[in-house]
Amino acid sequence: MQNDRRDFICRSAKALTMASLASGMGVFGQVTALAQKVPFSRAAEVPNDYRALVCIFLGGGNDANNMIVPNHSDANVSNYAAYAAARAPQGLALPQSSLLPIDVPRIGNLTYGLHPSFGPVTGGINNGLHGLWAQGKLAFVTNIGTLVMPLTRQQYQTNSGRRPMQLFSHTDQSNQQMNARSDVVVLSGWGGRIADRMTIPANPQRLIPMVNSIAGARVFTVGEERQPLAVGPAPTPLNSLLSLLGYNGTPAANARLAALQAGMDLADVNDLVGASNDVHREAIRISTTLNQSAEVTTAFPNTEIGNQLKQIARIIKNRSTLQMNRQIFFCVLDGFDTHTAQLTGQGTLFSRLSQASRAFFDEMTAQGIGDKVTQFTLSDFNRTFNPGGSGTNVGSDHAWAGHAMVVGGAVVSSDFYGMNTTNGTPFPTLVNNGPDDADGGANARGRWIPTTSVEQYAATLSRWFGLSNSDLSYVYPNLENFASSDLGFLMPPGIR
Amino acid sequence: MSSCMRRLVICFTSAVFVIAAVGSAVFGQEDPDPNSPAPRLLSSMDKTRLLAIRPQSAGPELPATGDAVFDVGGEMVVYVENIPRTSPDGANAFRAYLTQSDGRIYELYTTSFRRLKSGVAAIGIRIRDVYGYRGQPKPIGDSLLSIVWRGNVSNYLKVGIGTTGGRIRIPEAAATRVNDGGAEYVGYRWSGDRIRFLEQATFGPSPAEDERIRRIGLRAWLAEQFNAPYPYLQMPNPPQMPTSIPTECSLAAFPACYRDRYTMTPLQLWFFREAAYGNAQLRHRVAWALSQILVTSGLVTQQSSHAIAYHRILQDNAFGNYKDILRSVTLSPTMGNYLDMARSTKTNPNENYPREILQLFSIGLFMLEQDGRLRLDGDGHPIPTYDQDLINEFSKVFTGWSFNNTGPHATPGTVNYLDPMILSTANHDLSAKTLMSYHGASVTSIPACQNCTTTTQIRDYADASLDAAITNIFEHPNVGPYISRLLIQHMVTSDPSPAYVEHVAAAFNDNGSGIRGDMKAVVRAILLDPEARGDVKTAPRYGKLREPVQLITNLTRIFPARSYDGQDLSDGALGSWAAAMGQNPFNSPSVFNYFSPKHVVSGTTILGPEFELLNSGLAVNRTNFLHLLTIDGITPNATDSLRGTSLDLSAYAALAAEDPTGNLLLDTLDYRMMHRTMTQQQKGLILQAVNAVAATDPLRRAKTAVYLIAASSQYQVQR
Repeated sequence: MQNDRRDFICRSAKALTMASLASGMGVFGQVTALAQKVPFSRAAEVPNDYRALVCIFLGGGNDANNMIVPNHSDANVSNYAAYAAARAPQGLALPQSSLLPIDVPRIGNLTYGLHPSFGPVTGGINNGLHGLWAQGKLAFVTNIGTLVMPLTRQQYQTNSGRRPMQLFSHTDQSNQQMNARSDVVVLSGWGGRIADRMTIPANPQRLIPMVNSIAGARVFTVGEERQPLAVGPAPTPLNSLLSLLGYNGTPAANARLAALQAGMDLADVNDLVGASNDVHREAIRISTTLNQSAEVTTAFPNTEIGNQLKQIARIIKNRSTLQMNRQIFFCVLDGFDTHTAQLTGQGTLFSRLSQASRAFFDEMTAQGIGDKVTQFTLSDFNRTFNPGGSGTNVGSDHAWAGHAMVVGGAVVSSDFYGMNTTNGTPFPTLVNNGPDDADGGANARGRWIPTTSVEQYAATLSRWFGLSNSDLSYVYPNLENFASSDLGFLMPPGIR
Repeated sequence: MSSCMRRLVICFTSAVFVIAAVGSAVFGQEDPDPNSPAPRLLSSMDKTRLLAIRPQSAGPELPATGDAVFDVGGEMVVYVENIPRTSPDGANAFRAYLTQSDGRIYELYTTSFRRLKSGVAAIGIRIRDVYGYRGQPKPIGDSLLSIVWRGNVSNYLKVGIGTTGGRIRIPEAAATRVNDGGAEYVGYRWSGDRIRFLEQATFGPSPAEDERIRRIGLRAWLAEQFNAPYPYLQMPNPPQMPTSIPTECSLAAFPACYRDRYTMTPLQLWFFREAAYGNAQLRHRVAWALSQILVTSGLVTQQSSHAIAYHRILQDNAFGNYKDILRSVTLSPTMGNYLDMARSTKTNPNENYPREILQLFSIGLFMLEQDGRLRLDGDGHPIPTYDQDLINEFSKVFTGWSFNNTGPHATPGTVNYLDPMILSTANHDLSAKTLMSYHGASVTSIPACQNCTTTTQIRDYADASLDAAITNIFEHPNVGPYISRLLIQHMVTSDPSPAYVEHVAAAFNDNGSGIRGDMKAVVRAILLDPEARGDVKTAPRYGKLREPVQLITNLTRIFPARSYDGQDLSDGALGSWAAAMGQNPFNSPSVFNYFSPKHVVSGTTILGPEFELLNSGLAVNRTNFLHLLTIDGITPNATDSLRGTSLDLSAYAALAAEDPTGNLLLDTLDYRMMHRTMTQQQKGLILQAVNAVAATDPLRRAKTAVYLIAASSQYQVQR
């Protein structure tokens, strides 16, 4: 039985039926009865194609200022000289010659540059992501961040607009990126809330939950009602991810297994025990359905992020046996908290990201669903434009709006997307104490105020994925505070 | 088997303790009965319905009848028996939970506590969820109210919310079982509480420590532990190495050298062996908790010598003063490297350490009441403790400190991580700094240096500035509740009542002799609080999921851990197994530790930090590890020439041989592992599996039983 609604209903139903359990009434019947009472906002409508969203979380706060750098000399918007003037003295500026050029139609076809690690790298197994720009499969949403409502610099500095809670704090800001709420603390993420609304209509025959994490049940993956499946990365094969050791079919082993499993169904006065049992029971149930072995054909790098994306690619490869039509995946690349030694640290991380993401893109293309699977990034926050430290120790500190990356065949065209900043482009003005800096005064360090909210970015991805207009406000309650809910970087939803 | 026979078996096991008790002197301070009674909610005429009344109608004594229906957001007074008159507790010791027919559970505000003449307690409740994470109660009819006090739950009674009616079933009341082993007539006889105490204060309830506490009691045991020599096993003392790894210690050519000097392995090996065999358990346990609050990590810390030097600070100060911990950690080169203070200069001040010492090591993000609850402003919003401007100010204070490469422990060619950081005078910011202002602050600013012309003058100024900053942080009223709550979560329960936090914070604020930050007083308050103590706790949210490290060490202490072949002690090579369960010791993924103290279990409102390390994949890894440890044994790693680990279950095999029904084995394990909370259903299931093993193989029977108990969620929650 499908049990991804392993939630408050399940657990408390168990508490409530403790007495009934003793009299022989099974808890499962109760759960099902309760679950079926919950109304759904629209009639079941099974999609006729496959789609997946793959979130790559760049943990620690990615310095987007060194991910995309102006590579032009146009003085009307921030150019390379402006960038270098601020970052070169302490040694954080990337040499202009090292940048991988990308022409940006949205900004008059001016050339910007990607960090060199997004191209071919020493020891790499593919050419990286940069090449996808020319193919129109790579896009950036620029100057995006957490917001409650649009906020001008004047409003921010006079504290007259509503600010997100706890700016510049890792835990709070990364949670807000993942749950798309910056005004209150909520326990569900936007991936999980999409699953609340789409699991049943989109995946009626599903054998596993709609949201799968290869990096633990982080808040992005958790719904108000739906729970994710969290499993480990490659190289562990899919079919041994959840296999119990030590059961060899002897009568004694069978009896032990029976006792282990029956123990998971015992009622207990303690809710923590119930919560733990829920996880164990779900693992055992899914271990039988995940017993799939279709393997990917593309080479993946043997890195943490490579092995996470490889595991995701395997699950996708087995999508029809698992009977999934819509899936959301979550993985994490940690280490972006580069207060120091950023040049080598971020370079390494970018090459791992680029190599793994490109391998994943190639594998999806090989599976024939290159335009059905969209990768996208989130990160805690951007980092200060003004460096911290100098020389080999140079790094940067916690800031706010950064740039997000979108990869996949569904990208409309390679470009910058998002709302315009004060300079009339979606790219911030790279000036400390400038028009986009939250900081003021002589010590201002360049913490860009977002012009595009996480909600707008997420809603654009969600629409493409198939979330209905009527469900947008459930998943993104603050979306109505912003002008646009479709930033236009993905193809419109297909006709179903 | 008959209940008669079961009783006999229990009598028999009790007799074992009686025999052991003969001849042992009882000494030390007297410990009171640790058990608090379960609160009992009074019902109205209808025995299933709560006696509750609107506050405006509540008189000085019990009302004859109550109100049947209350509004969401409204107030009610309920009446509770069984709260002894001697209890000093107020409203924040009581927690009210509302279970609704849609399955949702809400924690309501308890707003007042009043004692009636009859002794019955009148508790005011606002029908509003404290957190609102999953919304507010709905006016959907009969709901169940329960009260939790000191970790024990009351009966459940119906109350109408918005209206009456609707289907909701009252669960059977949880019985408080007191394990007052009548025959154990001397010493600290509450055997359930002894085991529970050892789960909280040590790395696992070894039979030897259980016996020690039975003889001397909790307070004498604590006094003994505060003075116990440590560590029992000498900490490894690897030399400091060059930052660029020399060929003669490279991973490829000399993996053993690399492992011992450039990884956390030596610290892990010592840690697990000390946990299994050491005597100064309480210090080891508190230091481990501190290492998960004041986090550094082998992901950044390059060398074992650096991590060991840092852990020594926590270990040496575990029973010292928290101010000294803050100061020593601030000047620790390992921390200086981890959070970048060692590279912070007046021209490039780094915000990392100032931000985290405030957010994670001392005061947290929001102003707290002394019981740990958020203080709210007039609009009901939490009040931030600091802003970016303050971070900038503290950043200036912390500039210029770096590695002391001429210090007493400096080794040529290496960076010195053994001596505290020292000031590089040219890099220290000499301008004025504004510190935090709060009621009672003894220092709120640092003036610019007026007379900083010589190196000595600058050093003196920087020392005084650092002391002012640490004092400003340490004296902040948040530190007591903030740190107390974290330590309670690491040792006793994930979701302590505000009253429990308040008791411990009070001990932090003043140890009874006017000293603030005395860790002995804090630890004593945590472990002796009535919410911690008692034979059994019945509250649905009491306790904590055992983190992977504790899951391992409790087993290596209950059953003596041995080498794989049983001929020697365990090698302690258990770090990689903890890592497979999500907790790689001394290699936290970030300064935010392996799990967040605020983590709420998916889909619920249950606070459960360690649940962040429990998902499908990690759950299976737990079960598989337990199979390996309890049944197969962990084989030695050939390249390391280590000895592996197994559990010595010979004593339990003897019990299995002695009683072929398996009951003697199960009853003894029930006591050792679950302080006699195993239900008859669980016992029955395990007995079936035990009896499926041939009676001629009692060791296999014992292994089967230990594995099934250890793998059960009933065991994996420390409660």
